[in-house]
Amino acid sequence: MIRRAAAALVAVAMTAAVAWLSRVPSQLGGGAAAVIRLSWRVAGVSVEACRTRTAEELAALPAHMRSPQECQRGLAPFALDVAVGGRPVVRDTVFPKGARSDRPVYVHRDLPMQAGRAALSVRFEAVLTQDSGPADDDAPRYAWDGEVDLAPGDVALLTLDDGRLALRRR
Amino acid sequence: MNNGAQGGGGDGPAGRPAGNWGLRVLARLDAAFNALYTWRLNPLYHSGALVVACLAVLLATGAYLLLFYRIGTPHESVAALDAQWWGGRWIRGLHRYSSALAVVAAALHGLRMFAQRRTWGPRTLAWVSGCVLFGILFVCGWTGYVMVWDAHGQALAVEGARLLDALPVFSEPLGRAFTGEAPLPDAFFFMNLFAHIALPVGLALFLWVHVSRLARARLVPPRPLLWGALVLLAIAAVAWPPPLGPKADLLRLPATAPTDWIYGFWLPATRAMAAGWVWVVGGSLAAAVFLVPALTKPRAKKAPPPSWVNPRYCTGCEQCFLDCPYEAISMVPRDDGRAGLVGRVDPAKCVSCGICAGSCAPMGVGPPGRTGRDQLAAVKDFLAETRPGPGDVAVVGCVHGAAGGVARKIFRVGCVGNLHTSVIEYLVRAGAGGVVVAACPPRDCRSREGVMWFDERVRNGREAELQERVDRRRIEVIYAGAGEGRVLRNGMERFRSRVRAMEAALAEREFAVGAECETEQAAPR
Repeated sequence: MIRRAAAALVAVAMTAAVAWLSRVPSQLGGGAAAVIRLSWRVAGVSVEACRTRTAEELAALPAHMRSPQECQRGLAPFALDVAVGGRPVVRDTVFPKGARSDRPVYVHRDLPMQAGRAALSVRFEAVLTQDSGPADDDAPRYAWDGEVDLAPGDVALLTLDDGRLALRRR
Repeated sequence: MNNGAQGGGGDGPAGRPAGNWGLRVLARLDAAFNALYTWRLNPLYHSGALVVACLAVLLATGAYLLLFYRIGTPHESVAALDAQWWGGRWIRGLHRYSSALAVVAAALHGLRMFAQRRTWGPRTLAWVSGCVLFGILFVCGWTGYVMVWDAHGQALAVEGARLLDALPVFSEPLGRAFTGEAPLPDAFFFMNLFAHIALPVGLALFLWVHVSRLARARLVPPRPLLWGALVLLAIAAVAWPPPLGPKADLLRLPATAPTDWIYGFWLPATRAMAAGWVWVVGGSLAAAVFLVPALTKPRAKKAPPPSWVNPRYCTGCEQCFLDCPYEAISMVPRDDGRAGLVGRVDPAKCVSCGICAGSCAPMGVGPPGRTGRDQLAAVKDFLAETRPGPGDVAVVGCVHGAAGGVARKIFRVGCVGNLHTSVIEYLVRAGAGGVVVAACPPRDCRSREGVMWFDERVRNGREAELQERVDRRRIEVIYAGAGEGRVLRNGMERFRSRVRAMEAALAEREFAVGAECETEQAAPR
C-alpha cells in the first residue's frame, strides 16, 4: 500500500515537473530595456576598376582576347556609422550579400538602448575607393538625425521609406 | 581463481563487470524505480517505447488541433481553441505536454544507451538514426511553438532566423521578415505549418531505420504504463492547461511570458553569443554526439568477437535464426554435401550477445569461447573449485546484472540468454543442492531478449530446453539489476533455506524408509 502510494506520488511529481518545465515564466526580452532596429535594403552601387595591360601581357593572350584594358567589376560596400548621444556605437562596413558579393546590401541589426530620450545619428554611405564608378557626389548616401524617445519595451524601427531613412514606431 | 567468467556479451570487454560512473547512477535509478514500479513497469526501461507512445498522442491531438488552426490568424485561432474548455484547451495541453515528455523520454533513452555502451558496431545505425530522430523532434517542436505565434514563438523564430542568417546560404537575411516593418505574410505561417506536418513523416522514416536491425522491436510500452502516462498527462492538461502567451509583436520587446525550457533551454545561451559561435559550439557538440560510436568502440583486441556456426554440429533447426534479437543469422543451403540448411552469421549485424549459443541444443553456434561446449568445459573448472554440496547453491549470473558486482564465486555469463541449459543440468547432477540464475530484469536485458528466451527454455520447453529430468525445485531465477545486490542476496538466502529444508525432508524420508525396512527385516516371520 505504501509502495503504491509512493509510486503514485512520484508519477504525479514527474508529470508536474514535465508540465512545469513546459511553461516556466521567463523574461524573453533578452535583457535590453528598448531597441533601435536598423533594417533596410539598398541596391548595390556598381564600381569598376580598370588598368592598362602591358605589351607583354597582351602578347601572351589569344588574339581575340587582346583588350587593352583589364577591368574588375563589382558592387561597392557601404559604411555604417551610428552614434547615440554623440557617442559612436556602430562603425562597420557592410558588404553586398551573395557568394560573389553581387546581391543587394542589407542592414539588419538591433541596438540595445536604455529607456528615455536619446539623440540618434545614422550614416550609411557607399565606399568608393576604386578608379571608376559614380562620381563621389552621386554616390548613394543615407542619413538620419534626430531624437528618439523610448519607453521600456519599445522597438523603434529605422528603415528606408521612399529612398530616405525614416523612423517607425508602433 | 576461476570465477567461471564466460565472457561479457556485446557491450564491453569480455568478463569485465560494468564499472563506469554513468552505469552506477543508472543502476541506482533503476533500482529505485524497480522498487516503486517493479521491473515490468519501470518507465526507465521503456523510455524508447514511451517516446513512440507520445508521438502517437501528438499525431492524434495534432489532427484535432489542425481542424481549428488558421494561418491567417494564428494566435487568435489558438486563443479560440483555448476557449473550448470542453475540448480544445485540454487537447492542446495534452499535445504540448506529450511533446515535452517525448523529449525527456528520448533524452533518457539516449543517455541509457550511452551509459550501457550500446552505441557502437552493429548498433551504430540505431545510435545515429536516434540522434537524427531527436533533432527532428526538436525542430518539429520549435515549428509548433512558432505556429502559436505568441511571445515564446516570436523569440524562437527571431533567434532561429538570426542563427540561419549566419550561414552563407540565404541571399536575403531571413531576419528581415521579423523587423515589424510589415505584418508577417500568411506564406510564412503556411510554410511553418507545412514543416510541422512534414517533419513527422521524417520521424516515421527514421524510426523505421532506428529499429530496422532489431527483431521484434518493442514500440509500445506495457499497457498499465502506457495508460498511466496518458491519464497523468491528460489530468495535467485539464487541471493545469498550458497558458497562451501574449500575441507576438515585432515592434515590442517580449515581456515575461510562459516559456518551454525543454524546447527552448538554449535561448538564453545563444542570445548572448555571436551567431557564428553558436554554430561552432552547437556543431562541435553535435559532432561529438554523432561520433559516439567511434569514441566508445573498444579496441579490436577487447571487442567481443561475433558468433560463428560450426556446420558439423548445425542441424538446420533454425532456432538460432528465430531467437537472434538482431536478425544477424540467416539460414542458407548447406554446401558440405548434406541436405537441408545451415545457419550463417552476418558479423556486421552480430553484437556478440551469445543468445544463439543458448538456443542451440547441439551447441553448434555462438561467439568463440562462449558456445555451449565452451560453457560446459568452463563449468567443470568452476565445480572443481567451488565443490557445491547438497545443501549448497551454485550461482550462475549475468555480468551486467547484480551478479556482476557480487564478490562470491559465481559462474558468470555475458547474458543469461547466452547460458546453455545443459550447464544448469550439469551443476545439479554434479551435486549442487540448487542453482540460482541471477538475471537482469527482462526489460533491461542488454541483449534485448536474452532473459525472455532463457525463461522460455527453462519453463516452457522452448528449443534447447532444460531437460524434464532436472528437478525444477532446484532452479531459481532471480531478476536483479546492477543496483539490486540486496534483491539478489535476499533471494539467494531464501532459496538456500528452501533447498536445505528440501534436503532435510529428503534425508528424513530416506531415514524413515531405511528404518521401516530394518523393522520389517527384524520382525519374526
